[in-house]
Amino acid sequence: MRTLDPQSLTQHVDRLYRAAWALCGSREDAEDLVQETFTRVLARPRVLSGDDELYYLMRVLRNTFLTSRRTASRRPITVATLEDVVAADPRPLGQPEQALEMQEVYATIATLPEDRRLALVAVDVLGLSYREAARALRVREATITTRLFRARKQVAHELEPAPGSPASADAPVAPQPHTPAIRREETRASGVLPGRGTP
Amino acid sequence: MTERPTQIDEEQRYVAELLRSFDAPAPARLHRRVESLVADHNKGPARRDPRSVGRAWSRRPFSVLGFVGAGAAAAVVVVVVVVVALAVVLSGSSSPPLNMHQAAAPTLRAATRSAPRQSSTNNAELTAAVNGVKFPYWEDRFGWRSTGMRSDQIAGRAVTTVFYSDASGRRIGYAIIAGHPAPRINGGAVFWHSGVPYRVLTENGAAVVSWLRDGHLCVISGRGVSSATLLRLASWSDRDASAS
Repeated sequence: MRTLDPQSLTQHVDRLYRAAWALCGSREDAEDLVQETFTRVLARPRVLSGDDELYYLMRVLRNTFLTSRRTASRRPITVATLEDVVAADPRPLGQPEQALEMQEVYATIATLPEDRRLALVAVDVLGLSYREAARALRVREATITTRLFRARKQVAHELEPAPGSPASADAPVAPQPHTPAIRREETRASGVLPGRGTP
Repeated sequence: MTERPTQIDEEQRYVAELLRSFDAPAPARLHRRVESLVADHNKGPARRDPRSVGRAWSRRPFSVLGFVGAGAAAAVVVVVVVVVALAVVLSGSSSPPLNMHQAAAPTLRAATRSAPRQSSTNNAELTAAVNGVKFPYWEDRFGWRSTGMRSDQIAGRAVTTVFYSDASGRRIGYAIIAGHPAPRINGGAVFWHSGVPYRVLTENGAAVVSWLRDGHLCVISGRGVSSATLLRLASWSDRDASAS
């Protein structure tokens, strides 16, 4: 048992931001979610049972995310969303191709059912072990395994080029198996996103 | 003999590797905000170790004197609250609170003074300001040129409005209400951006957006201008200008 050191929180901002982005599907909402998460964590002293505070932050992030979604669903009128009207952070990320790819992949993750999305974010985005993810999300490890499997499968499926897209139209007469691993190599070579439909 | 990975294995590995390869950092402004939260936390009063809280309570002996003292204190608090409430209700001397209808009204009126110029020290601001809160300069960035200005006194507060027009002749009024604390505005839909709540509603057939800047209520409105445009303008700041 130890008390959480607030100073140590700043080292997790980047990872937590990516996790929040994948949960929300929007960079602006991710910023707000991370800020709200840290505000909650700092609201009172916290006692951790383990050494790693990341799983604890994931738990608070999850709770904050779920609460904000419930609150948003109770809001009265929605005339527009800030995603529509407010420009994203004008500073580009380090690698534009990766930024575009991230945007697309995270937007895909944001469409997953909530339980799968949280499992995928905890393990693949935040880098928690299955055990830590299970503790953070308050489920059994076996549940994490199942949800993660289904989430990855769905993401891989969503990122497949759509039939009839230029990619498939220009494909050779005898189509090759288009596995994600192959698509990833193509992405690196051409700088084109998987599923963008570019030959 | 090892088995060849199936397509399902490939899919699973692909997604996991793809997600782990992303290493985009959080925006600098988010880092600054978190650092500021941590700094504020450290500046706050010394906090007790939560594990000691239960022990401290359990060690405290029951005291009849303490119990009576606490009851007396509670009674005093109740009396004070009642007296203050009565004083507020009966005084009748304070101005009625400003409502959204009143706050938005000047933004749809005519200008009475010439337009303020762009600030020579900050090209994202105009020279006009209310208690140090400057009006924004939008011409280069959004095509909204400042065209005039007016001052009003509403519900005991000074309201300064700057008007902007775009190439198609549409007009927006941007009002800043002086005085602390800022009037509370209710109703409409709230949209959060960068930690700031923006309230969107409709008044007299025009979309209105209100929010706080440095503790001052700001209201922006214009006929024929969408709430999306108003939100975009309202949430733009000179920080965005310097970052782009």
